[in-house]
Amino acid sequence: MLQDIKILMKSLSDIDVRIMLCKSAFEWELLAKKYNALRDEIEAFCASGLPEDVQTALEKTRAYLVEKKGELPPLDLSDFFK
Amino acid sequence: MGLIKNIGNAVKNEVRDYLLKIVEAEKEAPKQPEAENVQKPAETKVEQQPKVPETPVVKEEKVQPEPAKEAEKAEEVRERPRRKEIYPISNDLEFVRVSYKKNQDLITIPKELAELIKMLPLEEYACFVKLYCFALEQRKNYGYWGGTLKRRIGLDQLSTAEFEELGNNLAAYGLLLLEQLTENQKTFVLYVPFDEDTMVKLSTAKKPEKESEKPTAKKAEKPAPKAAKPKAEPKEEPETQRAEDIPGKPVEGMENDEMYKSYKTFVSLEIDKAKMRVGRANFDKIYMEAVKYIDKKYGFKVLSDSDKFKEYLTNYYISAFDIPTFENWKKSKG
Repeated sequence: MLQDIKILMKSLSDIDVRIMLCKSAFEWELLAKKYNALRDEIEAFCASGLPEDVQTALEKTRAYLVEKKGELPPLDLSDFFK
Repeated sequence: MGLIKNIGNAVKNEVRDYLLKIVEAEKEAPKQPEAENVQKPAETKVEQQPKVPETPVVKEEKVQPEPAKEAEKAEEVRERPRRKEIYPISNDLEFVRVSYKKNQDLITIPKELAELIKMLPLEEYACFVKLYCFALEQRKNYGYWGGTLKRRIGLDQLSTAEFEELGNNLAAYGLLLLEQLTENQKTFVLYVPFDEDTMVKLSTAKKPEKESEKPTAKKAEKPAPKAAKPKAEPKEEPETQRAEDIPGKPVEGMENDEMYKSYKTFVSLEIDKAKMRVGRANFDKIYMEAVKYIDKKYGFKVLSDSDKFKEYLTNYYISAFDIPTFENWKKSKG
């Protein structure tokens, strides 16, 4: 189990690195989807409850993603108003 | 002896004559070059006179400016018909925003339309046909005019100014309706003959049509500056009229939907105005706050759902920039 959670955490830290390198909304969306999938996977893996450090790591990555989305150029809403 | 003396005297005389000739020749020798020099300039002058037209240098100097002038003239010739003498092909065309009922397998140009567009110059003709194909592909004959459209109809090689000019020309010929919404946003309605079998009439856009005819006629009469007119148009139009002209997804005549479409346009314009008002840097900050707010309130998954995020973002902007809500806006419109 310990081995498996380490692999999942490694995937999470990979996402952290990619967030830093992310430069477009498209890349961001891919990372967000990856994060959501990984989070689901971790939650499924730790069905009894997330360990505190894992919970913190997930929240940290989520905060990174939110911050990054805010830093990217504002979303163009012109399509939305068509 | 006498004979020998005579021979000797004769030889002496001949030698003397010979020497005298040489001396005379030597004396004349320096004079000849002078004479030659005197003669040569005359000859060269004579020679130069015919050479003048033959010399390539002189010709080149004269030829060089000619192509430049010719090029300028050619440019003028190109520009003249575009900018000055554009008369509408037809003033009676009714601009109807339509959506096509089905995707068309064939791109067919009705005879009536073909008769009209064959009068267009090559570039305008090409642009019209491309727009027509685009309209069939999109199943609607209207949309936003700009860089995206230019790219989507395969006119990437044209500069923005050239594309604008093509649009203005098509408008001047009366086959395209261009509407300036904001400084950066423009919409178009392409003229297509209405066919009940294949199309659904969304709106007739009667008022803009009448207004649009005037500037085209004016353009034809007077080559007045182009930029001033489209800017003047939206100022004259009330907001509701502008909103009606916004291209949108085909809506089948429901009043409420039409209203909502108008409202969306109104919101879009208000957001654009707010963006200009607060400046780019501040707008970026507001966007960042919006992202954080949406994440907190609606959860992270909304951020990665493009449609939902746009919806919530719009709501945030409505709140942040004090834009009236739909209900309030509807009340204010009566």
